Amino acid sequence: MRRLAGTSLIVAATALAATIIRDAPAEPVVVPPDPSAWDAPTLVSNVCSKCHGASGRSISPLFPNLASQQTSYIEAQLKLFRQRGRSDPHARAFMWGMARALSDDQIEALARYFASQPPARGTVSSNPALTERGKSIYEKGVPERGVIACMTCHGPNAEGQGDNAFPRLAGQHRDYLILQLRYFHALLRENAVMQGVAATITDDDIAAVAEYLSSK
Amino acid sequence: MKVIRLGAVATFVLGGSALLLVSPPARAVASFARQTGLACASCHTVPPELTAFGRRFKLNGYTLTARPPLVSDIDEHKRNTVWLTDIPGISILLQATYNHYDKAPPDSTQPYPAQAQSDTLQFPQQLSFMYAGAVSDHFGAWLQVTYLQNTGSIGIDNSEVRYADHTADDKWLWGAFLNNNPSMQDVWATEEAFGVPYFPTQTLWSAVQPIDGATLRVPLFTTFPGFAAGVGAYTWYNDSWYLELSDYKAAKSGSVSATLDSSNLPFGGGTIDGFAPYWRAAYERDWGYHSAMIGTSGMYVKFEPYEFLEQTINPGYVNRYTDLSVDWQYQYNGEHNIFTFLGHHTYETQSNAAALVPMYFTNSTDHLSETQITAEYYRDRHFGGMVSFHRTTGSNDVAFNGGTGSPDNQYEVFELDYLPWFNVRFILQYNVYQVVNNNQNPFFLRGWPNPQASSNNTFVLGLWMDF
Repeated sequence: MRRLAGTSLIVAATALAATIIRDAPAEPVVVPPDPSAWDAPTLVSNVCSKCHGASGRSISPLFPNLASQQTSYIEAQLKLFRQRGRSDPHARAFMWGMARALSDDQIEALARYFASQPPARGTVSSNPALTERGKSIYEKGVPERGVIACMTCHGPNAEGQGDNAFPRLAGQHRDYLILQLRYFHALLRENAVMQGVAATITDDDIAAVAEYLSSK
Repeated sequence: MKVIRLGAVATFVLGGSALLLVSPPARAVASFARQTGLACASCHTVPPELTAFGRRFKLNGYTLTARPPLVSDIDEHKRNTVWLTDIPGISILLQATYNHYDKAPPDSTQPYPAQAQSDTLQFPQQLSFMYAGAVSDHFGAWLQVTYLQNTGSIGIDNSEVRYADHTADDKWLWGAFLNNNPSMQDVWATEEAFGVPYFPTQTLWSAVQPIDGATLRVPLFTTFPGFAAGVGAYTWYNDSWYLELSDYKAAKSGSVSATLDSSNLPFGGGTIDGFAPYWRAAYERDWGYHSAMIGTSGMYVKFEPYEFLEQTINPGYVNRYTDLSVDWQYQYNGEHNIFTFLGHHTYETQSNAAALVPMYFTNSTDHLSETQITAEYYRDRHFGGMVSFHRTTGSNDVAFNGGTGSPDNQYEVFELDYLPWFNVRFILQYNVYQVVNNNQNPFFLRGWPNPQASSNNTFVLGLWMDF
């Protein structure tokens, strides 16, 4: 009998804990049965947030921050994932599967959702010299190697440019930026402009520009 | 001297029939990939080890998918009443091996000097059919049925159903599970379930597939796969803190018992008296390509040795076990290089019933310490391997452990792997033994003079497939 009482106590405590958590200020998640009918907050809460964070600010620097990203860029990328038109390793491993069943409406809603989130704050750089060099590359390019200034397309404050789906880069994770530039350089990620820009870029250039942008 | 050695009896009883069907390999299953559309590399460094994302997939109750269900319905409150995926979570796991023992093992039925063959080829060594995937939008299952060539039998392997939900901002996640193996629920797999060696070979010793009834002494809580059932609840906060409390129970012998046959009892020869609580806490931090976890777990078991189970009317004698573990895992999951360093240390305190001392247990309190340390490296998820060190020491108890009374053992596993595809793996493995307590040494058990630990060294060539 004592054992039963002990067990009941554990079950009750567990139920209580679950109730307390459930009664936390966060709204209960009422999920329509069909993910194709999910609105953007539900999709984000149930799927996207596992990597990108509920507000588009991801914890792991391998997954990009999406908060305040250009709507047109997010839309374009999700459609590329869906049609398997972007095939870098991480896109294949994660986003092909995640985007395969999204409707155009959902893609647009997700893009609007993330674009409206406050941006991730840049991380403080521990290497001012490298940041300075990155700033120079960002603003002036590397003329001797034909690397054009990033600012030309991504804007003076690296906020991106909506009309042409040029992404926001300010405050993006350093590791993610490094990875993408390497993908462009190695022709693993499709984008004619960026493949051209990254053709002659060196690992040192990449490290510098990523350091600068992640600190912005 | 004809004294019944509890441990020895248990090991012999377990030999031959050995309904030890729960086996550690492979939680990488193709059905999860079909459900999510994610590549295996999303969730696994190299199967079965989980990445940070793979751990979140499991914590979310195996339910993650962005795919519309085939069948669904809602009630008037827009709550799901049914939610079924379009692709059922069916997976098949196949493991085949060629084993070579350093010395032909003693024949399992004949006394010294009869020997069995030193080479065996098993196709399959193990074949599992399973359902692994979402059952509803918040409920998932991992149900595994396994055929083992060694025993020629089919039985329930690792099985779990799991519920999970989270707050809208995903800061808090909580869940509950029902499973048949304490530690199966774990996402770091530093303990028994799904733990190292990921590819269990048919060594003379392997606690899961003994070929002569001999098993190395291990902490009690690792011996319940398939013999116990438990419920648990957990929470995962801020992508870093994990806290779990669960409770396990096993059947006793009796008219409505599931374990009337003592050969059904776990190693150690007994069963859980009442409920046995299991707890787990862990902290994980992920940064860049790195992930690190430090954690602790434990189980308290009132354990009834099987000789005394018949006295259930007058409650049998009960030994009290407290298992406490610390464990860790460091992962570097790079674009090309993958490195993992993981392990655990478990300390067991076994307080023996006064009435059983000194007849069945020499000491009123016994101890056991187990340490496992493993390092793995893989290049491009194609080539790699691991080195794993295992050491167990404990108090000398002649009545319980038999032989010299020592429960000590020490061995290493060296493994090279080639994965032409992510779900096909060729394995070259060598198990090297420095210490094998006499009572667990099949050579000793079969009356061989001067049994050597190294006689149990095993070379394995294996194939693992999952589809």
